[in-house]
Amino acid sequence: MKFSVPIFDVKNLSFVVKEHAILSNISLEIFPSEYIAVIGPNGGGKTTLVRMLLGLEKPTNGEVKIYGKKLSHFKEWYKIGYVPQRASLVDSSFPATVLDIVNMGRTSQRTLFSTLSKSDKKFVHDAMQKMDILDLADKMVGTLSGGQRQRVMIARALASNPKILILDEPNTGVDIASQKKFYTLLRELNKKDGITIVFITHDIGVIADDIARLFTINQKAIICNNPKQTLSCEEMSSLYGIDAHLLHNHRHEH
Amino acid sequence: MLEMFEYDFMQRAFVAGIIIAVLASISGTFVVLRRYSLIGETLAHSALLGVAVGIVAEFNPLWSAVLFALFAAWLIEYLRSAFSLYSDAVLAILLSGSLALAVIIVSLGGAFNNSLISYLFGSILAVSSEDILVISVFGAVSLFLLLLFSKEFYFIAYDEEVAKTSGVKVDILNFLLVSVVAIIIALSIRVVGSLLISALMIIPTVAALRFRVGFVKTVLISLAIALVSVFVGMTLSFHFSLPSGATIVLCVLFVFILSLAINKR
Repeated sequence: MKFSVPIFDVKNLSFVVKEHAILSNISLEIFPSEYIAVIGPNGGGKTTLVRMLLGLEKPTNGEVKIYGKKLSHFKEWYKIGYVPQRASLVDSSFPATVLDIVNMGRTSQRTLFSTLSKSDKKFVHDAMQKMDILDLADKMVGTLSGGQRQRVMIARALASNPKILILDEPNTGVDIASQKKFYTLLRELNKKDGITIVFITHDIGVIADDIARLFTINQKAIICNNPKQTLSCEEMSSLYGIDAHLLHNHRHEH
Repeated sequence: MLEMFEYDFMQRAFVAGIIIAVLASISGTFVVLRRYSLIGETLAHSALLGVAVGIVAEFNPLWSAVLFALFAAWLIEYLRSAFSLYSDAVLAILLSGSLALAVIIVSLGGAFNNSLISYLFGSILAVSSEDILVISVFGAVSLFLLLLFSKEFYFIAYDEEVAKTSGVKVDILNFLLVSVVAIIIALSIRVVGSLLISALMIIPTVAALRFRVGFVKTVLISLAIALVSVFVGMTLSFHFSLPSGATIVLCVLFVFILSLAINKR
């Protein structure tokens, strides 16, 4: 691997609920500027893995380190941008304009008694510009389409100036045209801004050309370091639980 | 109408009422957005237990109400997080437990009298100068904390897990919010009453949410509704000799119905 210090270093991670193993002995590393897709069947443990990376679930066994530190000692959470599964399904009565939501991205970095500084406002502005939502600033989030909400949620995550974006199937409730735009945005964030992307998705075919590595999670993990070659591997077929040929629809030529 | 301000007790009642309207409506916004509306009801009953202890022990019940409500708030948060119990079940258990204990204590102490009734339904006659001092001091501290951490409370209300993964200290702030709410409720039961304070906390925010505006405007509308309701409610209470808490809550309800009619979407 060309990078030396991983952002996430996961060792022998297991998660067991009432003697039922959700995840068994997972070890993986995520390096700066990588674009990683995480796939697997529903209930296979993808979201559980992400929740343990973020400290939202405690593993039964094993350890997660962020930037070389144990989760409990890690303080620089603004470096992590997280967009959960339900992100675009915002409660329509929640009293928030687009600007209110994106401003939240700066909340954890403010000091006591301080309001948003000039530099905070610039991060918020830049994030909104990148997501092409500046004209929506005063709109209520509840009135937006699924695709617009999705961009607002990513702008909120980008406003903290993260080094890594973790996206858990954020396409729920988003139309196909918006999804395509979204994949282009992710590619640009990774290639132009060098942001590490960890993307839980079922649409592996569409982003196969963009990703550096592929994690397939179904209780155990198989790491494909060259997804273009390994998308059709038998191991992945058995892990994913369906015929791997169905997934093999990406755009490169053989 | 202004002649009511010639009475000292009305001046005190209005000062207390205005402070409570400000505190209840602002804290109520966070409570409603966190889907935690029932906590007001539970903490009010815990505060009533404190009142019962205060009456029987013969010291200012406001102090013991604050202490008991605070203890109940911490117990609720602890039970919710440590035992993964359903929030509404925890609230129901503490609500009935507190009320049962309060009734037993006042019965044993032989103090089941008008004094306790005034804490159930509120009384503008009951606000003493010492109460004003306690309400002002604790109220100022509560308002300061609410405003200081308003952005964090708002973020947590929006999405607790996203706030946590952004570095917001969610666990500590959850304890802080319920503590502030407990203090506000304990301070309010003198004027609004323990059975009715939760309405002053919840209904102005629910009415304000009907206007579908951003967070700051929602808080301001909620504040305006609470202030108008307290002012009109106390005035009606004075002129028609009605219980102040019930009159205030009916005024808030009237505004809520108006907000439904104005915003039919």
